[in-house]
Amino acid sequence: MQDLSLHLLDIIENSTRAGASLIKISIDADEKKDVLKFKIEDNGSGMDADTLNNALNPFYTSKESREKKVGLGIPLFMQNAELCEGSFHVTSKLGKGTDLEAIFKKSHIDRMPVGSLADTIIGSLIGHAETDFYLKITHNTRDEVFEYEFDTRVLKEELGDIPLTYPDVIQYIMEDVNNGIKNTKMGEI
Amino acid sequence: MKTLADLRKIREKAQQDMKLRNAGSRFKIVVGMGTSGIAMGAREVMKTFLDEIATRQIVDVVVSQTGEKGLSSMEPVVDIIEEGKETITYGNMNSEKVKRVVSEHIVNGQPVNDYIISRD
Repeated sequence: MQDLSLHLLDIIENSTRAGASLIKISIDADEKKDVLKFKIEDNGSGMDADTLNNALNPFYTSKESREKKVGLGIPLFMQNAELCEGSFHVTSKLGKGTDLEAIFKKSHIDRMPVGSLADTIIGSLIGHAETDFYLKITHNTRDEVFEYEFDTRVLKEELGDIPLTYPDVIQYIMEDVNNGIKNTKMGEI
Repeated sequence: MKTLADLRKIREKAQQDMKLRNAGSRFKIVVGMGTSGIAMGAREVMKTFLDEIATRQIVDVVVSQTGEKGLSSMEPVVDIIEEGKETITYGNMNSEKVKRVVSEHIVNGQPVNDYIISRD
């Protein structure tokens, strides 16, 4: 993966594959604390302790093509966080869901760029119309706090039976998410 | 989020539109978004489909992304599913190829043979 927004996309795909009906994503950047934090919580099928261990192990693969449940995605993300004096935690409960947190030292020389969060978010929430997404971005600079929130539950309530792939809806989502994220100045870190 | 009034306007327009056409979705487009697909550029492929649908005002397609594809050597991979017809899978996709698929396959109904990796 070339940037953190692509790792985020990979994690979102895991959550949807686990059958999540709600995925909460929070991204926090704090210049004072020099921290960049990604948190993804889902209410999908969750994992038992063994499966979770396997998910964190880069050498694990069941490789039976479609039976394959975990791969390199999580270990690579974990490695990237740990390389940057950060940390990585996954907690999961079978039948309840999975919470994942990746923390990076923001100024670390090896920290990957954030990349296009907007592209990850726009594609995911339109491409998984049956899943609800709640996104919150907080960027705490030294003298200001920028925030952006997007909740597809609000969007869907207003739209009723109009699909998210209706052209004007795509335009609406693209504009809102692109501008919203741009205004947090997250893309620049 | 922007004002909800904007969404209401979109909803009214869309409802009119759908009444006129009396149509559901003709095509379902599925972009493979597994780890290898993402690493090979599947997000850009997804983005281009959404851009094209929005700018060309195509109302009878649904686009989704899935991590369940397993064709790592030909990622990014896209399925075009049309009711009553065979599913067409395109491989090694990129932005330019997506534009051609939208114009030739989705708009004009002619699959782009050059990019097809399987039919079933």
